Amino acid sequence: MYEEPYRWIEAVGNRRQYLDEQFKQGSPVVALSCDEGIVLVSASRGTPKLYEIYDRIALGGMGHPADLEKLRFQLLDMAHLEGFTRSPSDVTGARLLKNGLAPTVKQAFEEIFKAPFIAKILLAELGATREKDRFLTIDYDGTFEETNICSLLAGTRAIHTPLFDELRNRIGASVPSLKEGIDMAVRVWAKGSLLHTTISSDANSHEIPAEGQEKGESMPDFDDEDVQRHARQQFADVTLECSLIDRRLSGSSKYRVLSDDEVTRLLPPALQPVR
Amino acid sequence: MVGRHGDFMHMLREHGYSFDPLHVAQTQGASSQSGHHVQHSMMTQGTTVLAFKYQDGVIVGGDRRATAGMTVMYDRTDKVLELDRFCVMAIAGVPATAFEMARILEHSFKYYRRSQLQDLSFEGKLRALTKLLKENAPAAIAGTGTVAPVFAGFDLDAQEGKIFFYDILGAEFEGVDYAVSGSGSPTIRGILHYLHRWGQTPLYQLPEEDAIVLLMRLLSSAAEFDAATGGINYEANLFPIVKRISSNGVEPIAPERLQTLCASQVMRYV
Repeated sequence: MYEEPYRWIEAVGNRRQYLDEQFKQGSPVVALSCDEGIVLVSASRGTPKLYEIYDRIALGGMGHPADLEKLRFQLLDMAHLEGFTRSPSDVTGARLLKNGLAPTVKQAFEEIFKAPFIAKILLAELGATREKDRFLTIDYDGTFEETNICSLLAGTRAIHTPLFDELRNRIGASVPSLKEGIDMAVRVWAKGSLLHTTISSDANSHEIPAEGQEKGESMPDFDDEDVQRHARQQFADVTLECSLIDRRLSGSSKYRVLSDDEVTRLLPPALQPVR
Repeated sequence: MVGRHGDFMHMLREHGYSFDPLHVAQTQGASSQSGHHVQHSMMTQGTTVLAFKYQDGVIVGGDRRATAGMTVMYDRTDKVLELDRFCVMAIAGVPATAFEMARILEHSFKYYRRSQLQDLSFEGKLRALTKLLKENAPAAIAGTGTVAPVFAGFDLDAQEGKIFFYDILGAEFEGVDYAVSGSGSPTIRGILHYLHRWGQTPLYQLPEEDAIVLLMRLLSSAAEFDAATGGINYEANLFPIVKRISSNGVEPIAPERLQTLCASQVMRYV
């Protein structure tokens, strides 16, 4: 029945709806370029969301862990094969994502008899200088975006846009230190997580519409105190994940996971978890 | 699924790369055409590398000369190759094969760590090198791919430095306190044995500075009796490669420090 174009478009539309629904409970991923390198922030319950892909490339993911694993392995294979047969400097995030991952993801999304990847991926790539740091994201339908300075993954486009604007504004023209970078990233992460929580609980209560409630067109506005409170509560429950592609590390591998002690030391008191 | 076990060699083979058959084909070809193996004077080899335990871990060093027969090919080779943050392979033998092995191992360890989300164990790393040497055996016997490396690293589980050495066919021996390899090694093997047994301080108790000085003196001694070992050329500002491996990982000793120690404690004895 999908031979008819209209049916196909309808099926793809349904797919979008289904996939958007899957990401509403997810934890956002925030990455930004700071003086010491690129810092990535997310939170997880057991399954990590941040991974090392190659010497200067890190991955942050949202979605189904099994799908993320499959795509992560594809990236690892491509990167290591290229790095070995050519040279580590030929392994670039742009090639991995645009030539490697995007066609696979798009094909899976459009083959409507098969399951799509429930995954959104962010690749952060440390450049020779901060100006050359790059960020790439790919959505579940295979569309990708390249930015510098910062990037993030969020459940829906409606949440992504204001969060990304906020992250850009917070950084402005400054070159944040690692401490400042983590502070910004965690605040934006917490705001994203708060938006996810609010919107999915709105959606759940949709069957009994509250009086005067409009259907999620405009984003609710939270002040700093709301965001901080949410962060503190969340970190008592989930693990804050923080990693750094460290410009200062000697040797070829630049990726490292920040230890709990390091994160506690870097995080401002207002964002420390409630124990 | 490709790469699910973190086996980099397996993944490489799936994509058409081969490490061993190339060498076999090459050596077979060489033998059938000329009736004998490639002349040794055409191959780059000859060296001295060594590793011994000192109080913080292991110190590893190698001279920098690469020779082919009577010709000096290059005088600034780095034969102490870092495989990851905690281990090195010091190479003696045919550099073309040895460098390729090091490249494979470096990528294998990284690939394993990144895919399996844990470091390959120390034993696993040793095994990986043994496997490569074993696959390389035909080339080693033919003489075109002879490699006899020293593997040194810091075992994080055991919290101690460890040293292993290999014969060209891949037999693994643990050099408990020290190991040497290369054409200049017989000279210093005896010295190490003597010092370790009857010296004032056992090698593994030496502080870092004494260990570095001893290593430079040993390489100078090797160079004294072996033309294929480069030793130290103070005038040309040419010092051996020296790396220490401790719980902090592999750290190269800066040439400036070697120069100072060399001027004060090595040169005056030569």
